[in-house]
Amino acid sequence: MPKINLRGVEKNYGANAANAVANLDLEIGDGEFMCLLGPSGCGKTTTLRMIAGLEHLTDGEIQVGSRVVDSVTAGVFVPPEKREMGLVFQSYALWPHLTIERNTDFGLRLRNLPKAEREERVGKVMKTLGIEEYRHRYPSQLSGGQQQRVALARMLAVNPEVLLLDEPLSNLDAALRLEMRAELKRLHREFKTTIVFVTHDQWEAMTLATTIAVMSAGMLQQVGTPNDIYDRPANRFVAQFVGNPPINILELAAGSPADLVVRARSYFQQRYAQIEDIGSVGIRPEAIRIVGPKTPVPEDAFAGSAEVSGILPTGGSWIIELSTAGEKLFLTTHQAPEIEVGAMVEFFVKPKTLHVFDGAGRRSKTADRLLNPAVLHS
Amino acid sequence: MSGQLAANSSGSSSAACPPQLVEGGRQDAADRAPASAAQRFRYKLRIALREPTTAIGILTAALFAYLIVVPIISMLSDAGRVQLGDERRIRMEVGDFTWYYIERVFTSRVASSLFWEPLLNTLSVAFGAIIAAVVIGGLLAWLLARTDMFGRRWFATALIVPYMLPAWTFALAWTTLFKNRTVGGQEGWLEALGLTPPDWLAYGRLPVTIILALHYSPFIILLFGNALRRFDSQLEDSARILGAGRLTVTRKIILPLMLPSLLSAIVLIFAKCLGEFGVPYVLGLPVKFDVLATSLYRSISSRQTGVAAVLAGSIMLIGVMTIMIDAKLIKEARRFVTVGSKGAMDRLNPLNNLRIPATVFAALIFVFSVAVPLSVLFLSTVMKIPARFDADNFTLDYWIGTDLNTVALQTGILLSPDLWNAAWNSLRIVGVASIVSGLLGLLVGYVVARTPVQPLATFLRQVTFLPYLVPGIAFATAYLSLFAVPRGPVPALYGTTLILMLALIADQMPYASRAGIAAMMQLGKEPEEAAQIAGAGWSRRMISIIIPIQKGSLVTGILLPFISGIKGLSLFVVLAVPSTDVLTTFSLRLVDYHYTQAANAVVLIIAAIAYLGTLLGQKLTRTNLAQGLGN
Repeated sequence: MPKINLRGVEKNYGANAANAVANLDLEIGDGEFMCLLGPSGCGKTTTLRMIAGLEHLTDGEIQVGSRVVDSVTAGVFVPPEKREMGLVFQSYALWPHLTIERNTDFGLRLRNLPKAEREERVGKVMKTLGIEEYRHRYPSQLSGGQQQRVALARMLAVNPEVLLLDEPLSNLDAALRLEMRAELKRLHREFKTTIVFVTHDQWEAMTLATTIAVMSAGMLQQVGTPNDIYDRPANRFVAQFVGNPPINILELAAGSPADLVVRARSYFQQRYAQIEDIGSVGIRPEAIRIVGPKTPVPEDAFAGSAEVSGILPTGGSWIIELSTAGEKLFLTTHQAPEIEVGAMVEFFVKPKTLHVFDGAGRRSKTADRLLNPAVLHS
Repeated sequence: MSGQLAANSSGSSSAACPPQLVEGGRQDAADRAPASAAQRFRYKLRIALREPTTAIGILTAALFAYLIVVPIISMLSDAGRVQLGDERRIRMEVGDFTWYYIERVFTSRVASSLFWEPLLNTLSVAFGAIIAAVVIGGLLAWLLARTDMFGRRWFATALIVPYMLPAWTFALAWTTLFKNRTVGGQEGWLEALGLTPPDWLAYGRLPVTIILALHYSPFIILLFGNALRRFDSQLEDSARILGAGRLTVTRKIILPLMLPSLLSAIVLIFAKCLGEFGVPYVLGLPVKFDVLATSLYRSISSRQTGVAAVLAGSIMLIGVMTIMIDAKLIKEARRFVTVGSKGAMDRLNPLNNLRIPATVFAALIFVFSVAVPLSVLFLSTVMKIPARFDADNFTLDYWIGTDLNTVALQTGILLSPDLWNAAWNSLRIVGVASIVSGLLGLLVGYVVARTPVQPLATFLRQVTFLPYLVPGIAFATAYLSLFAVPRGPVPALYGTTLILMLALIADQMPYASRAGIAAMMQLGKEPEEAAQIAGAGWSRRMISIIIPIQKGSLVTGILLPFISGIKGLSLFVVLAVPSTDVLTTFSLRLVDYHYTQAANAVVLIIAAIAYLGTLLGQKLTRTNLAQGLGN
């Protein structure tokens, strides 16, 4: 049974405004670590706040466990304080006038727990997060990373069944972020809580989540495991949003006379004439191989030649920029390139790594079946 | 309907792809009908009524409608209706509609002395004061913000002092020096030395202009200086690198970018001059120099309610126009983002040879705007005969003496029960009003920041801002109009302390609510939401989170209105009666009766309270005065 169920959820901030969230259907399973991923302004934080009850719906219904907590049609609204969830804010929102201990203790006091039990639970959660030595300090006396831990501790102390996290790592520096990511993953295992995590950082989503929901302009684009999202993006938006450097897109429908486009068009016409309505083709940078003496072009691959117009070392790997008559392709490689800027090179791409999108930008099912017959397609 | 909306938005958004069915999503979305309008309304209503925020909002909105909107409407309607006592002159029944008062003020034979001359005087005094304040204040602002003048830190505080003191402190100092034989009572120092100052120097336009200029140049120093200080020096550096000289940079880059903030300060000064009562009252009366505020006061004291309503309405109208211009200027100013995060100005222009003359100039301004007036006032309270500096001429009798040979006030001012009575009244009236308006301000801030009913938030924001458009003396007239007679269950409040408190609360609301809204907005929703998530209901959140966090801003929200209330005059002068005398009206009464020493002593007491209160406020909030401007 799913832990959280959103049905037809819609949020509109004003009569003339575009929907912040439009017709959203999403199931979040019990014990899942779900990441809401998308660019800023895509409605992911709004969605999270609606789950928490801090934002009201314009339409739709939200169910948590067996309880409908929000429904416009039924006129149900369970206020946030009765939803028994935890929420960690991006700004942490620690109460500046209370000590760390009192901040952590706040929720337990409200639940009228006996003092001994409160002390035990506060002590335990502070120990888990390594903040016990600061218990008598005030939030302003702590560093960002420590505040972040307090914000987590405050919510974990009441042991919520659902923990919502709103970009909690975005204010931390890189090293601390890595550490907190590992910590979150450990906490997820330890507390077995259902976690909904909002982020615009694909790395964070990829490394943390068991399931990722990609959103854009208020609409859900794809739900799937991190590998699903990367390997089988459901549409062009997801393909372009996830991946760094971003996926190369060849616009086939636009009728561009560019060499690569013409080449790709004839490649598909000759080999995969069954695929109708090809709008564009996406090629991940790491899927492009440069032809060399040890790497000949496979028979069925999409191939071409281009000029090397730039080589950018990124430490351990390289980004190579290829240009052919106005088109640019980026490829990444982990082997030191033995070519110079200005050289002409041959390259190829294996068919199973091509992503074919139709005229409306949707992933083509036919193409998946034809290009990669080894995988079972649902 | 929602399906259509979704389709539309997908068509218009460039980044998104069409809402295709996604893996893991649910299939039955299309089956469910969207909520009807009635269902949506019920859902919204349930949310709006769930918490007391909206109920509190409606109650405060009703309260402010009664305390702010109704008096103004009542006053404006007085302008068009026959007032009690005028029925025979106008030959109409009381309450009938009439153009009489409007004609009387604008077109009759007395119109020029009632309105047009005071209007011209107001304008000339205001513009004179503005020009002088811009020249003096602008120069000082530049010296303080951007040069290596000596003692900048000290001057930065010292030159603001005139603004902390009531403007008519300086008017009293001026009469103490320049009063001539035109008026009875104790003569001025110059007269006592045998130099009779001419009327144009002693009273009327010139001294009023000079005093207002000195009083309001801190405005320019604060607002303009702040803008100069925050000016992004990278803008300037870019021009310099491109080869522009220092003068060109000033002329082509700095001044145009500073213009909006300068204009805004000018408009604020104008609005303040418009309502200024004390200075023209003290200095204008002997030569019948009337400005709008004193003309209005004269109409009120001679019980010409209708005429007073027309005059107050006109002052209000000019005030509204001024503020609208200001709003437009501020909007204009937003077009320029001149405040850099990085390049804030801390580089200074070297003055070289001019360093000492510049310091002398600042010192002179300090001497003339602070040192001389305050010492003259103080000396006048310890000297029996003006301007005679013999040892036996000095006395503390006017402060603590007994059995003085005077008609009334036979003891030193500190021993007079009238002073303590007035002080107690001031403290009580202003204190209660400040506490109430501070609390109401925070409440308004809370409702505005939190209520899901947007129109309510907008109404509260606007209605509490309304008194800002109405100069104090016009607002007092409005109160007089509504509360002078019993209306329904409300008895006549004129002559009670309650009317003073209510008027003061309403008059302070623009500042109190602005402070409250700012505090709540700055706090943001999140600390409260975090408590909500943790399981705290509304009252628990108020007691454990909101009020403790906002303690500091509540103290400021009470202290700032208190200071401005203590030194305020124009509200009280209309609404107070002898039994509800406060310090300001008490000292004005002493002026009227020519008890110069006693009047000056009371004014010094007020000035000391205002000054110390402001310092305390700055200490408590660690802010500078620029943020409390306008109070």
